[in-house]
Amino acid sequence: MSISVHFYSYFQDLTGCAQTSETVAEGGTLADLLKIVFRRFPKLAAMERSMLVAVGVDYQPKDYILKNGDEVSLFPPVQGG
Amino acid sequence: MKRQLTITTEPIDEAALLRERRASAAMGAVIYFLGVVRETEGEKKISAIQYEAFQKMVEHQFHLLFDTMEKRWPIESIRLVHRVGLVKVTEPSLWVEAIAPHRGEAFAACQWLIDEMKRVVPIWKKPVS
Repeated sequence: MSISVHFYSYFQDLTGCAQTSETVAEGGTLADLLKIVFRRFPKLAAMERSMLVAVGVDYQPKDYILKNGDEVSLFPPVQGG
Repeated sequence: MKRQLTITTEPIDEAALLRERRASAAMGAVIYFLGVVRETEGEKKISAIQYEAFQKMVEHQFHLLFDTMEKRWPIESIRLVHRVGLVKVTEPSLWVEAIAPHRGEAFAACQWLIDEMKRVVPIWKKPVS
């Protein structure tokens, strides 16, 4: 299934793009998707511990099971105010 | 609870916000907080901060925070304005107002909202020299 992945803040500098699309097997989780994304963008892997992950507009844990058409967003810690 | 959320590239118009303030006769506490861009970021002198937001998620996360706030404190009204885009030094980037029956709950709710915003609301800043 196809999953779109969006990057925000300096993650766009690390990947060189604002978004990409990845294919994940049926029943795949966010953790599975991240492995694929990190292979494509190795600089992001170093940010994994502080990285925030959302599906749509909600934060989700790494064991979240992806659905076809999900929009995943990856970004660094937030800094509003 | 009345809620008003504004995410804008325009300067924050404090005078207009004050004119639009509405509090019922049961309210004894109106507090507001202004977050202003400082001239330094760490040790470095800056001229402005560029704010970036994931707008759809920003709105959703703020409303989740307002939901929680409403359950925890007897707030009659919460109004929040956050700027995005370029905000120059000395200009406000954040304006928050909480209206409640007593000052304790108004201060506590406002403090909690700003702390939580900095934890979950997807806004980022980039200093501009």
